[in-house]
Amino acid sequence: MKNDYKILGFKAGLEIHQQLDTHKLFCECPSVLRTDKPFNTIKRKIHVVAGESGEIDEAVKFQGKGNKDYFYQTYDTTCLVELDEEPPHKINKEALKIATEIALLLNCKIFPVTQIMRKTIVNGSNTSGFQRTVLIAYGGFIQTSEGKVGIDSIYLEEDSARPIEKTEDSTTYRLDRLGIPLVEISTKPDLKSASQVKETALKIGEILRSSKVRRGLGTIRQDLNISIKGSNRVEIKGFQDSKIMEKCIDLEVERQKMFLDKNQKNPSEVRNCLPDGTTEFLRPIPGSARMYPETDLELLHIKKEFIDEIKRNLPKLKNEIEEELRKQGLSEEMIKLIFKGDKLDEYKELYEVNGNPKLISKMLLLLPKEIAKKENKSLEEIEELLNKDVMIFILNAVYNEKIHEKDVKHVLEKICSGVLFKEAIKLGKKDFDEVEEKILKIINEKPNLSPNAYMGLVMKELKGSITGQEAMEIISKLMK
Amino acid sequence: MEIDQNFGNLVQLERGKEIYEGILLPSPENGIVLLKLENGYNIGFNKKEILKLKLLKKISEKEKDFNFEISKDKPNVAMVILGGTIAARLNPLKGGVDWLDTPESLFKFYPEIFEKVNVVKVEVPFMKASEDMDYKDWQKIARVVETLLNDSNVKGIIVTHGTDFLHYTSAALSFFLRNLNKPVVLTYSQRSIDRASSDANLNLQCSALVAISNLAEIVLVGHASTNDDFCNVMRGTKVRKLHASRRDAFKAVNDEPIARVYPERLEILNSYHPRNKDKPKLDLKFEEKVALVKVYPGQDPGILDYYLKNKYKGIILEMSGLGHAPTSRARLGWTKKLKEVQNKGLTICASAQTIFGCLNPMVYSNGREMLETGIIYLEDMLSETAFVKLGWVLGHKEWNFSRDKIKEKMLENFAGEFNKRLIE
Repeated sequence: MKNDYKILGFKAGLEIHQQLDTHKLFCECPSVLRTDKPFNTIKRKIHVVAGESGEIDEAVKFQGKGNKDYFYQTYDTTCLVELDEEPPHKINKEALKIATEIALLLNCKIFPVTQIMRKTIVNGSNTSGFQRTVLIAYGGFIQTSEGKVGIDSIYLEEDSARPIEKTEDSTTYRLDRLGIPLVEISTKPDLKSASQVKETALKIGEILRSSKVRRGLGTIRQDLNISIKGSNRVEIKGFQDSKIMEKCIDLEVERQKMFLDKNQKNPSEVRNCLPDGTTEFLRPIPGSARMYPETDLELLHIKKEFIDEIKRNLPKLKNEIEEELRKQGLSEEMIKLIFKGDKLDEYKELYEVNGNPKLISKMLLLLPKEIAKKENKSLEEIEELLNKDVMIFILNAVYNEKIHEKDVKHVLEKICSGVLFKEAIKLGKKDFDEVEEKILKIINEKPNLSPNAYMGLVMKELKGSITGQEAMEIISKLMK
Repeated sequence: MEIDQNFGNLVQLERGKEIYEGILLPSPENGIVLLKLENGYNIGFNKKEILKLKLLKKISEKEKDFNFEISKDKPNVAMVILGGTIAARLNPLKGGVDWLDTPESLFKFYPEIFEKVNVVKVEVPFMKASEDMDYKDWQKIARVVETLLNDSNVKGIIVTHGTDFLHYTSAALSFFLRNLNKPVVLTYSQRSIDRASSDANLNLQCSALVAISNLAEIVLVGHASTNDDFCNVMRGTKVRKLHASRRDAFKAVNDEPIARVYPERLEILNSYHPRNKDKPKLDLKFEEKVALVKVYPGQDPGILDYYLKNKYKGIILEMSGLGHAPTSRARLGWTKKLKEVQNKGLTICASAQTIFGCLNPMVYSNGREMLETGIIYLEDMLSETAFVKLGWVLGHKEWNFSRDKIKEKMLENFAGEFNKRLIE
């Protein structure tokens, strides 16, 4: 039986963490995830210390249990800052700019002066024992079909190190992810239903993608805070996708209800979402006792001129871009495919080379699929062969009339079969010349027929290698 | 509106149309105050922009009680706390630094050290950043340490100190404290102690083991590498800070560590002066008018006149290569001036700019030219150790009356400052 969320007093808030597409937040190391063998591994201990109030936070105490060894894998893309062997460098200006831009897109107000904080984290995922984080904005909102959702706050923070291996008394982390800039967006607990949670997540995701953020698996993480009337707040982490979210919410509401039915209260805790939508205990909810200032850095001033500059250059949101593509003459179907295939950036770049939206969208979205099917190869393989450089080259060739638009498919096929693209263009030209020659021959053999009659003969002779429209063009040209 | 009087209290601030609530804190920047919001984050306010301040709740600082007992099964050590990162903890409520200067406050941050030893005495002669110290501070430290060396209830002494000039202090104690009977262990931290990754934890645990060991030496104990696995035990006269920020900032120079120490065991690597029943002797004499000067290309030797004129008694000259300065063939040669100032009573000793390796003026004619001026070549002695030693030697009336006596004493191996067998 479906629960009535309204009657239950369901309240939820989303926390979205999105990696930004820049170098690291407090050093100049590139944000590159490594899959090769680590260059070196270092060993550290983490020991729990009292926060500024002299008290040890519950979550910190829980994480810091035991005398574990922590191993950190390093690369040539790691520096002393990530090793906790050098103070942080000045905050990455570009990351601050992107985070501010996102805050503005979410209608937030920016704090003119704020302080970079250390959030104590003692599970070893930060070599320093804390995560650097700064609150930059507050008081925004987005619209959903079920009403307005408040944006409570926007933070800019460092990502943690990637866990690689866990044993009973040690954990191994890789330092490639540590320090990648993250923007954290937390909504107010305004979400009233599972579907609204999902819609909000998608909507914020869409807004994030209009800014300079990292794409792909693991670059965005969503956490949920859930409670029903009378229950304690539970934070759920680790959603693999938004599909599992709705199911997980239903199950969590059910779980909290079970406590209430027995006149008990569920503990306030952080839980982890499992692939089947159920959850397991992760740790207690951290309090504010684990926050203290990053004394190695100056106060952060976000100046009005900085904000105004960003305001002047705010990226367009999805619906604005859709309108623009429509104006360029793309069909709704193509526009959908561009967003679905995450091809907008490529499309825009190619549009600069050759302002032929139909050809570009065909080359980006349709032809690779067709060729992949024909050649019995994976789409990824074909897309790698037909990379942006190839596309630009071909579009230039069309623009300069070295090849005809209708030869493009043929040329791309040649390239996929291993012909160098400079050669492929010539082949396209040559093949086309051959076709023209054949048609001329047909006309000369049977002169004085109507274009449509020639059309029949030509299509019969050259079936498959040429379209009707193409044949007609050549026939009309030759008959002049 | 009394802003400064409300630091540490829960307040409501009005700026523009907005109202904020949180704990008011001072900030490191003039004209700005901070507000700690409920979520723990601090945001800043320009004092001028605050339209209204309303006190919501006075908050008094509460000190928690600690279970702290002295066990008869554990050996007793004493600690001398002198400031530096290892004893400083930021108090954002006050906007300043709190010192860990009682056994209770130490226990709060370093419970692990108390598993190995009882800290029965904590002496705090002063609290200073090491860059603010001078020879008078070294003398104060030596006096405090000497008292503890004579305290039969104390098995060893741990001295915590800022890192910048720690190696000067370790050298000074090595000369000031003669006939050592117990371990005197200097240690530090490079990462502040309020972070869970602080290097102080391992450094202190290892120092505790050394303090109760058989090594009656002035040693510096600190991370051997970036790993939190073991520390090096380095002789006080043969150690130098060689990195601005890494945990393993201190390295033994022209020397091997005496031992390697893990949190649970000590591994002796080289010979040492053993624990004994001698009565330690304090020798605090020091001549303040000594200087450390580095030779650089094109340097005007006239700089030596400045020292002479200002009544300096001795200079450690940090020389290039095997022990060179611009010769008589240079545009600004030093040979003549060196001879002249030494004849007027200035003692000039040579140490190596290269940090590692031993001086040898006999290899090149340029070195022999320098040697002939009368410079005392201090072989493999570190410049910083040489500076301290020169002040100490020249501080002795019974030695400073003749050039030969000074030379003899500067070249005498008092505290392992010379190593005749360099192996690396």
